Amino acid sequence: MKADQNTVSFTLNGELKTFATEPDEKLLTLLRREGYRGTKYGCGQGTCGACTMILDGRAVYACLLYAKQAEGRSVRTIESAGTFEEPVEFQKELIAAGAVQCGYCIPGMVMSATALMETETVFEDEIVREYMDGNLCRCTGYEKIWIALRKVLDRREASDKAGNNSSAKGAK
Amino acid sequence: MKLCEFIRPTSLSEAREALRELGPKGMPLAGGTALHFMQTKTPVTAVDITRLGLSYIRQEGDFFTIGATTPLSDIQRHRAHGWAMHEIARNISTHQIRNVSTIGGNICRVFPWADLPVVLLAMNAHMVIYTGDGKEEEVAADDYFAAQPAKRFNGGNILTAVKVPVLKAHQGFGSVKAARNAAAFSLVTVCALLELDDGRIKTARVSAGSAIPFPHRLPSVETALIGREAVSAVFREAAAKSGTEVKWCAREGMSEDYTRQLAEVSLADALEKAAAYANGRTK
Repeated sequence: MKADQNTVSFTLNGELKTFATEPDEKLLTLLRREGYRGTKYGCGQGTCGACTMILDGRAVYACLLYAKQAEGRSVRTIESAGTFEEPVEFQKELIAAGAVQCGYCIPGMVMSATALMETETVFEDEIVREYMDGNLCRCTGYEKIWIALRKVLDRREASDKAGNNSSAKGAK
Repeated sequence: MKLCEFIRPTSLSEAREALRELGPKGMPLAGGTALHFMQTKTPVTAVDITRLGLSYIRQEGDFFTIGATTPLSDIQRHRAHGWAMHEIARNISTHQIRNVSTIGGNICRVFPWADLPVVLLAMNAHMVIYTGDGKEEEVAADDYFAAQPAKRFNGGNILTAVKVPVLKAHQGFGSVKAARNAAAFSLVTVCALLELDDGRIKTARVSAGSAIPFPHRLPSVETALIGREAVSAVFREAAAKSGTEVKWCAREGMSEDYTRQLAEVSLADALEKAAAYANGRTK
């Protein structure tokens, strides 16, 4: 029961890793210290969503998790999404819509949207709002982010209707 | 809250023993979101109880049994005949918090703004507490929320489940949470459980929280409802009695009178919802 207090092991972006930590360390602090700086520190109190990452298929705030809570679980950060050269579909639409101003909220937005797309098959506005209600943006007034996300979701729904089951792979 | 140690017991009895030994130096951790905001003079040992199989929702006879470490998002997504917990769960905090925060964490230490105690009071839920040696005790909501429940757990006892009644025909539940925005803490939360008989109110349980120091039943509102017709005028009249046993607080720029009005309007709305639910089920 009193496993090593100073390490934590979990699957990070598909790779099993062990990190030095301490009981009081937050997962966000650990990730950023280890170079995963796409996960942003915003409010540090579970309000803004800049630190959103995916824990066992669900979007969570890294600032409100102790690193030790991730033991044995699967953690996915924004680094598992697209890269600068090869952005994922939602990232491309964000750029196209001019939805990125300061950009600080965007990694969190992308992770919440990823959880949405991997969990749900129907993307009614109410469901989308529910998945995105924990991410604040102080630049855009959300309109352009919403337009970008809606484009991606509408395409997925259309593709599902056409019989292509490529979306909603199921979380994880 | 500063943590000096993080332990992960493998059984309920091991967890209880650890918490009993640690006393005030130990803290059970479920979602853990509240721990980040609690102040203690000395660092504590977190006892992780999330891997003890306490995350589930199942129907057992006349009750839905919800495991204590079930995240709010699971409660929000659950659907079943006679189930009404999803509505309020959707209105608690944000998606990311609902994925982590648990029903047990919400009610083991009751914060004044907590929504679930209000729901569980109106629903007449039962709390199941592990008291060691394989034994459990069941505490009804009225007793459980009569005072801060946190002290019940001082000896290491652990909340394992919450049992909410399966709503029967003619019964309806309604809840209203008034807040500045979807993610904000509640300004006032009110809930009502009504049982109708031929359009009249046979039984009523009404509760409130957040604009008062601690969640509370509203017996004078209940009395004003029983035997009366389930119509808007009666709901408004009953809601106006809410100040009899609780004193609505002035806060966050709202005067006492504003809070009272907000509470009364919310109460009338919750009663309308409960009646609509009951009628929908009887038709």
